[in-house]
Order: sequence, then structure tokens, then C-alpha cells
Amino acid sequence: VDPTNFKTCEQSSFCRRSRKVQSSGSKYALIRGTLNTYTDSVTADLINKENHHQFTMKLEALVGSTFRLQIDEKQPLRPRYRVEHALKGKPETAQIRVLESDELTITSGSAKAVIQGDPFRIDFYENDVHVVSVNAKNWLYFEHLRQKAQAPAGEAADGGDGAQQEQQEQNSDAVQSPSEPIDEPGTWEENFKSHHDTKPYGPQAVALDFSFPAAEMLFGIPEHADSFALKSTSGTDPYRLYNLDVFEYIVDSKMALYGSVPVLYGHGPQRTAGVYWQNAAETWVDIYTTETNVVSSLVNFVSGSRKSTPPAAHFISESGIVDAFIMLGPKPIDVFKQYAALTGTHELPQLFSLGYHQSRWNYNDERDVTSVSAKFDEYNMPMDTMWLDIEYTDGKRYFTWDKFKFPEPLTMIKNLTELGRHLVVIIDPHIKRDNAYFFHQDCTENGYYVKTREGNDYEGWCWPGSASYPDFFNPVVRDYYASQYHLSKFKTVTEDVMIWNDMNEPSVFNGPEITAPKDLVHYGNWEHRDVHNLYGHMHLMGTFAGLQQRDPNQRPFILSRAHFAGSQRYSAIWTGDNMADWTHLQHSTKMCLTEAVAGFSFCGADVGGFFGNPDAELLERWYQTGAFLPFFRAHAHIDTKRREPWLFPERTRQIIKSALLKRYSYLPLWYTSFYELEQTGEPVIRPLLTHYPLDKEAFAIDNQLLVQQRLLVRPVMQQGVSKVDVYFPAIDDKKNGDYWYDVDTYQRQERAGYESIPVDENKIPVWQRGGSIVPRKERQRRSSKLMLNDPYTLVICLDRQGKAAGTLFLDDEKSYAYRDGKHIYVSYEFADNQLTNRFIGKPQYKSEAWIERIIIAGLGHVPTPATITVNGISQQLEVEQRNGAIVVRKPAVKMDVDFALKLNN
Amino acid sequence: GEVPRPRGVSLAKAALYQPQADGKWSCLDGSKTIPFTQVNDDYCDCADGSDEPGTSACPLAQFHCTNKGHQPVEIPSSLVQDGICDCCDGSDELPAVGCANTCIELGAAAAIKRRNEAELHKRGAEKRQEMISRGKQMKADRAARRSELNARIKEQESLKVEKEQLKQNAEALETEAVEAFKEQQRELDAETAQAEQEPQQMRVEASLSFVRYDTNKDGFVEVTELMVDMNLDRDRNGVVTVEEARYFLDERDRMDLDAFVTLAWPRIKPLKMLADGLFQPPKAPAEEEELPQAADVEGAELHNPEPSEEQADMETGAAGEEEDDGEDDEDQYDDEEPDVGVGEATPEVETTTAAPAYDPETQRLIEQANEARNAYEEVARQIREIEHEVKEIDEQEGKDYGPHEEWAVMDGECYTYEDREYVYTLCPFDRVSQKPRNGGAETTLGRWDQWIGEGASKYSRQKYTQGAACWNGPQRSAIINIKCAMEPRITAVSEPNRCEYYYEFETPAACDSDAYTASAQSMHDEL
Repeated sequence: VDPTNFKTCEQSSFCRRSRKVQSSGSKYALIRGTLNTYTDSVTADLINKENHHQFTMKLEALVGSTFRLQIDEKQPLRPRYRVEHALKGKPETAQIRVLESDELTITSGSAKAVIQGDPFRIDFYENDVHVVSVNAKNWLYFEHLRQKAQAPAGEAADGGDGAQQEQQEQNSDAVQSPSEPIDEPGTWEENFKSHHDTKPYGPQAVALDFSFPAAEMLFGIPEHADSFALKSTSGTDPYRLYNLDVFEYIVDSKMALYGSVPVLYGHGPQRTAGVYWQNAAETWVDIYTTETNVVSSLVNFVSGSRKSTPPAAHFISESGIVDAFIMLGPKPIDVFKQYAALTGTHELPQLFSLGYHQSRWNYNDERDVTSVSAKFDEYNMPMDTMWLDIEYTDGKRYFTWDKFKFPEPLTMIKNLTELGRHLVVIIDPHIKRDNAYFFHQDCTENGYYVKTREGNDYEGWCWPGSASYPDFFNPVVRDYYASQYHLSKFKTVTEDVMIWNDMNEPSVFNGPEITAPKDLVHYGNWEHRDVHNLYGHMHLMGTFAGLQQRDPNQRPFILSRAHFAGSQRYSAIWTGDNMADWTHLQHSTKMCLTEAVAGFSFCGADVGGFFGNPDAELLERWYQTGAFLPFFRAHAHIDTKRREPWLFPERTRQIIKSALLKRYSYLPLWYTSFYELEQTGEPVIRPLLTHYPLDKEAFAIDNQLLVQQRLLVRPVMQQGVSKVDVYFPAIDDKKNGDYWYDVDTYQRQERAGYESIPVDENKIPVWQRGGSIVPRKERQRRSSKLMLNDPYTLVICLDRQGKAAGTLFLDDEKSYAYRDGKHIYVSYEFADNQLTNRFIGKPQYKSEAWIERIIIAGLGHVPTPATITVNGISQQLEVEQRNGAIVVRKPAVKMDVDFALKLNN
Repeated sequence: GEVPRPRGVSLAKAALYQPQADGKWSCLDGSKTIPFTQVNDDYCDCADGSDEPGTSACPLAQFHCTNKGHQPVEIPSSLVQDGICDCCDGSDELPAVGCANTCIELGAAAAIKRRNEAELHKRGAEKRQEMISRGKQMKADRAARRSELNARIKEQESLKVEKEQLKQNAEALETEAVEAFKEQQRELDAETAQAEQEPQQMRVEASLSFVRYDTNKDGFVEVTELMVDMNLDRDRNGVVTVEEARYFLDERDRMDLDAFVTLAWPRIKPLKMLADGLFQPPKAPAEEEELPQAADVEGAELHNPEPSEEQADMETGAAGEEEDDGEDDEDQYDDEEPDVGVGEATPEVETTTAAPAYDPETQRLIEQANEARNAYEEVARQIREIEHEVKEIDEQEGKDYGPHEEWAVMDGECYTYEDREYVYTLCPFDRVSQKPRNGGAETTLGRWDQWIGEGASKYSRQKYTQGAACWNGPQRSAIINIKCAMEPRITAVSEPNRCEYYYEFETPAACDSDAYTASAQSMHDEL
């Protein structure tokens, strides 16, 4: 990518202005006597002591140790935008107790907020530990709306209304401090490259700083191609959140990408806290971290102080209001759940979507699709979903097919469906401006398109050429859009065909920074500036509603590129247009870890890399990595060489096949994890710090990930290596670690710290945690759907106490019946040489599946036959050794039946 | 009758699935001994999967579909009991799935298909036989021609030595005589000299040329003697044809010196000068005897007529051969046409210059030298011609026209296929190309490279490479997949990879009845 196509903070006037405050500070104070106390909140007025502009402040307590802080102008010239649809619903508030002295103390459960009046500041405590401060740096900056000062009389284009002009100037004088830099270039209009932003409402930025006194590092605010741990922005641009279509993006960069999720976490050994900055306008985030380098250690040593400035973040948004959720933890998993409680989770996906996806821009025609699918069978490799990129359409008119390349899509779809496979087709938001295209006719006639300032339909340039963009902020447009998915309208697909929403930043090839101009006008008379980062989200709402209405019995699967906080309720995401090189492979885990803690567990990267041609080794390692990320799809640019696995030498095909089989064998774990994500908000993949919060060495590790608390994955992501360094995290500050069992050999790691692990070309370094039970399915099928009735293998890895536990969820893998209890949710526990099960809720799903074997690692001895007891009837089972574990042969117990399995000595 | 054997085991392997006396059974890889009751008990005991031929329990196992009435197949265990009927006899699924037994129908349909294919191959093979005979004939012809040419080239080489000797002899005599004649001329008085200088000069030049052309020294310049002078290749096609040579000889077969000086030299001289890169039209008042060294503007103005249309065409033609894409060049030449002037050849320029008058003896020696030169050049030319033909034959011999030369007749043919956007062309053994239907330039997709079929089916696939480079990408290439049919035609063209094309092509050359029968037989034997 050419970075000069995108703005720097310096080139963005609101960022420049807001950042300036970092040197001078600001002067906001609560106005005495304006405090109002309610059962769950307090309100007060706030004043900018320099220009005397007044604001309202509301601090609300929410259940789950969370506060919501809102600041808006008391009497804005026009309403300021408040984000809608990002929260999963109205947050549940919590009762507060208020104590008024010099300060104002608001307590709700173990959460406490202490408000200071002048200068305005709030400190948040979790169980009396100070975890977050708002405005501790005095960087609150709120540009109130104002009238545009008229040009001096001499330069005025038209005379005759001098009196009015004078009056306006007086008005603005009254509220403006002369020191406010609102007349500098870029405040009332702004140019970037050849693009002009009219900025009719002038400056309206909001900015606020958040400090994390209990934290040692910060993470979050995806989407950036950067490390999991946020880096200091001192001397660089801030991290930018502005949904953009970035071609061949740069890694190790703070540049904006396709998605924007303004949630940020501060983590230290004792406490984790977070802030969700709910703002959909362009946002920049400055990061202040105490870089623990030699110099700072020296400074601390000399000064005799271990106390240094806590890490902090400075959020700067172009418009809207301050709407911040302060989540107080205390543990990492608590904060993730607090965030999930606000913005929701992905619902349980259909099982097939956790299988392997085969995509390419493009599979050219029906024969191509059919033969690629057939090749997977020929080579006996599992594959669940074929994808069609934009070329399947009739000239990039979505909801239509190219009748020559795809004369009989329904037959083609049936051929896939009959093998248990699925089809996903792309539907982008740009609409071809073709008067003969029904969709364009409807949108034109009904005024469904996003408008220019002048009220005309905005016209941009995208895949179809001249295109317009439906205004998904309008509920009527969303309804219309949703209805297009109905099979009576989109007749050339079936209810099993799922959807890929791409280019929804929105991408506009000829627009400023390849997106829509900020002065476009949306439903409700909001400027695009106010809502930009939500456009993709609103698009997804329409698609999700459409798929649910099309078939209320099927859980929709949608893949999106653009995303905002809350989009995880509707779609999976992938990391966009990456490249076939090792650094992009390495960034797939970094980026998905950050996405996962920001709500998007259902994340993956294009396997093989979108641009360029991977060599065999890179492709092999990418498949191995992709097999352990939640969304597992190979995809490639139209100009790349074909790279289906059989086009590579036999050796490569075997390596890929074994990675695919490994993925499929773990589907029961992935599926259970997603069920538990929906139930609890706990991410499916997690950074090490989630479960090892005390181990500072683990904080920044982003080339390893945990699948729940059961697997530790450290994919090989370097070229030509024969060993990798793997970090086994410590559970305490004494370097004690969990037991970890290599899932291929059951060889056990007992010590915390780095271990050098030999890897051959087939090795995916994965360990199962001692203390966990993982359900697997070890039989091979051509697609996950055909595994429905296949038996399970339970893999039990024992901890130091000889114990283990783990859950399994199963249902029909497709419908919403699980929400009516039509499922089996079971917890297995192993202790005292005995395995027992405990159903969570009554098992109400009738499954043909059964337990075919139980593998137990860490036992230390090979027991004589095991005894299984079902309904009071006991039976002996053979036990044999396999590598470092024992295998109990064929318990053959159905999944909804209680049993006890006793190992005899 | 049916030999009892576990589900999924072929008849051939039935004997391997017999319990031992103690009711035990050993995995086929010998890795383990298990109770025979654990064979097909839906649990994988053997590392090689041999204990579960009839279930999906072992990843490595194979299930044998007997498919009575059709073809038996081995399918991987992943397809067993997955709810999808893979064997036509339905044996891979439990009865509950309700797979229909379609083997009889499929077997019958397959038999019909095989018959039709056999028939097609048989009938196609007849055509192929013709192609083979023609191909073999062509090969034989080439071989015959090749040895004929070999003989002739030898012949000509010795002739060349001989002619070179004759030429040297004649030229020695000629030089002597001409020197003597020149000496005589210099003795003439100045006035006479001045009066006659110009025609005399023309005559001297013409005579010298005459002597040079008359390589056989017979006192005549013959058509063949002119044909060796490439300067006279008016259409610049690399060969001075008889017609071209005759033009210079005023449409006669040969000419003596006098006729040469008056009729031939005026036509030849401008081309000589052109070849020297110094065209200067002949001029009346010649001041020196030497050939003019620089263009004389005045003379050009006086004597340079407008070029004929024929000449303009000639030039365009020549340019067209040098450059591949003619369009632009043609314009260029059209533009330049009106500017023809100084420096342009005008072979048809009129001249009244008289030939120098040699004494008869000198004249005779010049003629003899010319003849000798001509004879030598003629031999050299013939050798070049033969070598050119040999090269062509060797190129064809270098191409692989199949084991029986059945593809040879297709070299030189072209086939086309139209889809919505393009017309695709295949000229076997030469090139493949693509041309937009709505006009636009033709793009070369590849030039003949080699056969790339695997093993026995080597001649089922061709590859063409080194096509036009793609923007920001590789050079285009094409693969031709070939099937048997009665008539040659392209049935489909696709571009599965950017810039990599794939043709489906049919031709009787691919109809090999024996091979087809053999493969059908081996399939039948398996049954």
C-alpha cells in the first residue's frame, strides 16, 4: 500500500487540534450545585473554564462492575450523534450509593467511582484498587458546535446582510475563547489530495484520556496489523480507527484497516480493566506506556521510585459525544465478559462454518466449482464450503448471476449440498448504477441511497463502475435489503447458501482515502462523518435480518470485512487483503487475538495470503496456523496462481491434508467453545494473559494462543525452522506452570518458561492443558455435516492432582432449537481414577453419536481393564497404551446417558 | 456362490479374513492379534485399518464395493456410512439410508458408453490411419527430399570450386584487357575526350559491370548471371527472380556488351548506387570518370521523376516484412510517399547515356568474365536455396508428430472456437491465439512447445508457451487437452488461471482403437 493515500494525524485537522491539548492541558470543571443523584446514576453540569461553554455529564452504574460516562453539550446548536445499534440492548443499570464530600463517591457493588470537581476527573476502583482514571491528564477536549464566523466584510461575496453578520459574530464571540484554534486551516473545510470536505458544521471533535494505574500494558482497539500489545505512540502517529479498504496493507503499522472496535484494555498482574469508547466517527488513539527499557529502569532506580506514570490512552474522535464504558474487571476474563455483556457475542455458528472453507477470486463457472469440490473427494480431503467472489454476478449486480458462467446455480448448489457442503456467495453494498437493474431502480425511486450535501444520490466508483450506496441507517432500507435475500426474490440460491459482505467500509475507489466523503448525508440528517465506522455494521444488520427471515430455522452465517463494536453479533470477520508472505502469516495470530478480546472470536486470515503466490512451505505453515484460528478459509486474488492443495507436490498435499484432518478432529471443541462464548462472553481464542495474568513474560506473547483454557497453540510461522521457542506460562510469580501435553505424543511439559521444541514439516505445536478434557472426533469425513453421528473421543489430560474436567456441547448443528433446550451440554470430570459425566440442563437432543474411545494422559501407570457402569450394569473395557497415554477401548456409551468409568489398578 | 467374508472385503481378499482356530485374527500388517469378533466392530484396532474394512472406524481402511453388474471399486473409509450412497450397489451405507442399487443401469449405460466409444475410436481410427499414411508419406518425402538435397549440395559445392576457378581466370584476362583499353582511351585528344567523356564514362562503368556480371565469360550477361546480384532484388524478398533479372535485360534472356551498355546498365545503375547508399541520378555532364560520390542536387532536380506507384508498393511491402505489425508502418510509409526525392531509387529513370565502346577483343573478355562471375554466383545461390530448404525440413523433423506421424498433417492447419467474447485459434505445432470478437488486436497465447501428457497418454496434451506477456504477470501459455472424435475441432476454451489457457480439442488423430480396446479389456478383466 502507498501510505500517502491515507491521512496522518497532522493531515487531519481535528486530530491535530485535539492532540495539541497534550502539551497545554484543558480546564474543565463541574459546576457546583448542578449535581443530581438518581438510583443508578448521577448527573452534573460541566464547564470549560476558558470559553465558559457548558456540558452535561452523566455517570451511570451498570451491572457487572461497569460505569458509563456520557458528556454532551448542554445546549448544542444541533444534536450531536449518539451511536445506535452497537450495544446489544439497553445496558442493565445497577443501584448506586453516593457519598458527597470534597469529592463525590459513587459505589456500586465492588465498583467505585470518585469524581473530582475541579479539575474534572474521575477515578475508578475495583475492590478499592485504583484501576482507571478519566481525565487524569486533563486532556478532555470538547469542541462545541458554533456558527461559522463570516468572512470579513471586505471579502464577503455578497453584501446586504451586514447586520445579520455582525450579530453572528457577536454570538460566536460570546462562546469562543480567542485562544481556541478554530480558525486555523481545516476547521471549516479541509482538503486531502484532490478531495474537498465541506465541513458545514465546523469543528466538533471530542477527546478524553484514560489512565490505567494498575496496568503494565495496554491492548485492544482493533483493527491494526500490529502486535497484540499496543505500542507507545510517542513520536509516531496515534493508532487510527477509521474503516478503510487498504490494499496490500503494511504490517507493524498503526494505520487504520477495515474494522474499528474502540475497546481498550489495561492489564497488570493484579487487575485488568477496560474502556469502550463508543464513537463511530473517525478516531485516533494515542498510547502512553511505560516502556520498561534500561533508561526507565535506571531513572526509577535513581529516583528511588517504583512508581511511574501509568499507561494511558487518549481517544480523539471527530464528532459525536463522549460515551465511554469503564469496565473494572478485576480479571482479564471478567473484562472480556463485561464487554460482551454490552455489545454481545457471535451466536452459536452452524457447525459447517467452523470447517474448512475453500475460496478464490474467482471460481470461474459451475464446472470449476463442481470440479474443485470433486477434487477434494478424489484426494480424500475434508472441505465444507465453496465460495464465490464477485465474478459470479451478472456484471457486479448483486442478487443476480452471470447466466453464461452459471446457467444453473440451483443444480450446482444441490450438487454441493448433497455432499454435505455449502456455498457462500458475495454480496457487496455498492449498487451498480444501471437503469435496467431492479435494485438500482428501487433504490433510486425510493430514495434509498446515501445522499450528497445537495440531496442527490451519491455516486462513487467501485467494482461495477459507477455505483451508489444504500443508506442502511434507514430502517426502511434495511428492511428492503433484508427482503432481497428472501428466496422468492433471490430465487437462484437456496436457504443453505450463506453470505459474504465485503467492501463495506464502504470502499469507494475514487473517494477520499478510498471511502465515502465525510459530508455525505445519511438517514436522520447525520453526516457520514458521524457514522462512518458504523456503515458496515448497519449493512450486516440488514443481511442478518434477511437471512433470518429467509429461513427462521437456520442460524445465518455472514462474513464481513468492515466491523464495529457489536458487529460480532452478526458476522465472522477476516483480516482482509493480506499478502502471501511470512510476516502476514505471523500477523494472523496477532490480529485475531486482538479481535477476539474485542468481541470477534470468529476471526481468521486468508490462508495462503490474498495477494501473491505462496511457496509450498509458506502454504503448508499457513494451513497449519489457519487450522487453529476460528475462521479457516483459503482465499486468493484473481491474479494469483491457482493453489488448491493438489496443485502442489504430494508432500505438500499430505501436510495440508493432515492439517485439515486435525482441524476437523477438534470441531467438537471449537463448537463447544462457541456455545460457551454465546453463553458467557468468554472468547474462544485467548491471549496467554487471560489465564496467566500474573506472568509478565506472557503479557505480550502473540505468536501463541489459547483455545479456551484447553489448548495452547504455537503455530510454526517462520521459514525453514527445525525448532520453535514455546513459552509455557506460569500460574504464579514463582514460575510454577500447568502441565501441558503434546497432542500428538502426549509428552508432558512440566515447567514454565521457554522450551525449544523440535518441529518437522508436519508438526503443529499444540498442547493440551493438564486438568482439561477435550472432546474430539477422529473419524474422517468429506464435510463436517457428515460427522453428525460419528462417535467422540474424549482426551483427558491430568493435572498435578490427577484431575481434569471439560465440557461438550452438541445439538443439530444448524437450527435455533438449542435455544429451546434441544441440546446436550455435558461436563466431564475425572478424579480419583474415575471419569463421570454431569449434564448441564436436561439432555434433550437425540444424538446417534457415542463415545468411541477415551484417551487419558498423565496417569503414570497402565491400568488393568477399566470398568464402565451404565444404569447399574458394569462392563470391562480393554485398556492399551498409545504413546504417552492410555486408551480405553470402546466405552460405546451414548452422549445423553450417564456413566461412570473406573480405572482399576 | 458367495464366499462368506466380512463387509467391505473383496472376493480376492476373502481368504485373509478367516478366524484362526482360537477365534483370533491377525491384522494384515501383523501388528496385532485381536478376537475375530472385533473385525468390523466399528472400532479401529489395527494400525493399518485392516480390521475395519466395512466401517468408517479406521482412517486408512478401504471399503470394497462389489457393484455386481457394474465396476467394483475401493472407496476410502471416510465415505462409509456417511449417509451418502457412493457404491452403486449401496453397500457402503446401512439399509436405513435406502440406497438404491443402480449398478445394473449404470453397468448397462457404461457398456453402451464403452461401445459408443469403441465405435468412435474404431471409426476415428480409420481416419487416423489415413492421417498416419499421409504423415508417414510426408516423413518419407521429407527424408527423400533431404537426401536429394544432400546429394545436390555436394554436387553444387564441387561445382562452386570449379566455377570459382573459371571466374578467377576470366577476371584476370578481363582486367588485363580493360586496363589496356583504358590506356588507349587516355591517349585520345582532350576535345574528343570531352565530347565523349560522358557517354564514355557510362560505357566504362557499364563495361566494368558487364565484365563482372558475365561470370562465365561467354561475352553475354545472362538472366542467371544477374540473379546472383542481390542489389537487383527489386521486391526485396531475398531472391532475384528470373522475372526481376529479365527486367534488367529488357526482357531478353541474355545480352551482349553493347546492348547491356545501352539497355541494361541504365536500369541497373540506380540500384547499384542505392546499394552503395549514395544514390545519385545519372547526369549528363560528367566531369570525372569515377562513380559519383555525393548526391548532386541539381542533377536530382533535373532527372528525378516522381516514383511510380509500383515502386511505392515495393517499398511498403519490404517494410511490412521487416516489421511485424504493419498498421502503423503502413501509415508511416503513406506519409512519406510524397516526399520521395533525392536519395530515393528510381529504377525506371530514363537515360540517353551511350555505352562505352570497347574494342571487340576486350569486349569479348569482359563478357567472358561476366559469364564466369554469373556462373559462380548462380552456384552459390543454389547452395543457399538448398540450405534453406534443408533447414525447413530439419525443423519439421524436430517436431514430434506422434509415434506414427499421425499429427503431421495438422501442422499448417488452424482451428477456431468462438465464445461470448473471443475467437480462439489453435494452429497445431505452431501457435495459439485469442482475438476479441468485437475487434481489437490478436493476442498470442503461446507458441508450440511440447507434448505433456503423462506416461502412456503423452499424446493427449500439448503445451504452448512464450505467449504475449500479461500486464503485471507472466507470459501467456496454453494447454491443449485432446480427445478422439471424427472431425477436428475445439470444443471449449477456458482460463482457469490468469493467463493460462486450457483448450479442449478433438481430432481423429487421437482415436487409437487398439489402445482403447486394450484399456477396455483390462477393465473387463478386473470385472
